[in-house]
Amino acid sequence: MMKMKKIAALALCLALCTLMLAGCGGSAGQSGGSASQSGEDVLIVATSPDFAPTTFVDTSKEGQDQYVGFDIAVAQYIADQMGKTLVIQPMSFDACTTAVSMGTVDMALAGFAWREDRAENFNLSNEYSPSDDPNLDRQVIITLKDKEGQFTTPADFAGVKVGVQTASLQESLCREQLPDCELVIIGDLGTGLLQLKNGDFACMASAYPTAEVFMNNDPDIALAGFDFEVDDTGTVVVMQKGADELTAKVNEILAKAAEEGLMGGWYAEAVELAKSATASEVTFDDSGNAAS
Amino acid sequence: MNFSLIGANILKLLQQYWQVFLLQGVVNTLKLTSIAVLFGVVLGTLVAICKMCRFKLVRFFITIYIEVIRGTPILLQLYIFYFVLPQLLPLLKMSPFMWVALALCINSSAYVSEVIRAGIQAVDIGQTEAARSLGMNSRQTMTRIVLPQAVRNILPALGNEFIMMLKETSLASTFFLGDLMTSYLLVGGATYLRFEALIIVGAIYLLLTYPLSQVVNAFERKMAKDGAD
Repeated sequence: MMKMKKIAALALCLALCTLMLAGCGGSAGQSGGSASQSGEDVLIVATSPDFAPTTFVDTSKEGQDQYVGFDIAVAQYIADQMGKTLVIQPMSFDACTTAVSMGTVDMALAGFAWREDRAENFNLSNEYSPSDDPNLDRQVIITLKDKEGQFTTPADFAGVKVGVQTASLQESLCREQLPDCELVIIGDLGTGLLQLKNGDFACMASAYPTAEVFMNNDPDIALAGFDFEVDDTGTVVVMQKGADELTAKVNEILAKAAEEGLMGGWYAEAVELAKSATASEVTFDDSGNAAS
Repeated sequence: MNFSLIGANILKLLQQYWQVFLLQGVVNTLKLTSIAVLFGVVLGTLVAICKMCRFKLVRFFITIYIEVIRGTPILLQLYIFYFVLPQLLPLLKMSPFMWVALALCINSSAYVSEVIRAGIQAVDIGQTEAARSLGMNSRQTMTRIVLPQAVRNILPALGNEFIMMLKETSLASTFFLGDLMTSYLLVGGATYLRFEALIIVGAIYLLLTYPLSQVVNAFERKMAKDGAD
């Protein structure tokens, strides 16, 4: 009796598992986010699409088309040059590097800056940069409007709380160049912006293009007046350690894109898209319709 | 911070992005929650049965299963299911969405199994003894006497599990799986109106969970009343 029960339970268990997996397989096609490593003809790229204009989502589109931004354009070009189909796999910024090291994706493009510890654990491409506009390479400190321009030298930051994104370029810049400031580690700049406005810290470190978006959207935000010294600029493609062939190929493609002057156009396009996505651009006109 | 613009900004976001919040966010959140709890209940029932079975070895392994799942953060489990399992089981072709749904199912099953076990064990032992002394065998005792009473303990707790899971699906936004929290990341990331997007998403979560918890409460009251009769 007991034995039969056990066998029955086991059979039920198996049946359930098969059912569950079958169900999973069936709906996999619908959800569309599927990306598998096996295909030779696809290039799987991890990105964290919450960072306009580098990489973000155009919510008026669906599927793979919804991912837009400068880094997505670069990724698309890399895929095209390799004769592969680009598949974007979205995930949080920290998960992007995990995905690369696990081999879940071929590479990650999410506004990664070159950093020594990154270079130790990953293959990084040569740096690429949207254009020769010097503003794009600036790393700045932003603050509230009433303190605009009040922080110009490292000495001004003595004891001042400065928000920096965890494991970001800005964090290492702050540690090197503002040794007297009090670092407050934040998860992402958007939340950081809230904390800045909330008074949790007086200043926040950011890349200039991002700071510009903040300032455009929010009249309370202004530049603190301090520019970090940055020698190396631009961002890199992150690939698995030891993927030297792929890295060489990507470098070749990036060089080709820069040579043909494509980067600037992609960046301008991404900025335009980011502007149209910004709700502050939505105007309530006479007809009551939002113009997007 | 300047609160004067927030109301207007929320309206703008809703007008431009309502589809992202409602059609995508709410639908995917409910989808994930339903899959997780539905399969969680089925799997959890089996786990509970095994946990109460008389074979020591089975109980041992099931206890490990439950303790590992309840003792590790759900975010960690999502990472394992998203990054590690697809590589260990390359033949299993599932979308990221289904991997995360599976992780939530497994997670839910551990909690549900404890709910069910506790519900069954809360039925007074005297009930079992009385049924057995009346000549019922153990199967009859279980299905006719114990389970009907246990359901009264279990169902409201399952309702609460659904509400918990609804909130925990927000972790799926780590992989941008389209749940409500992903809507916040997408809209907030594209517009940098993060606070406004948060308020909207928070309100939607409340709108979903509040009626559900009212239903659970009403159900609990009804069960308590029926039990007293």
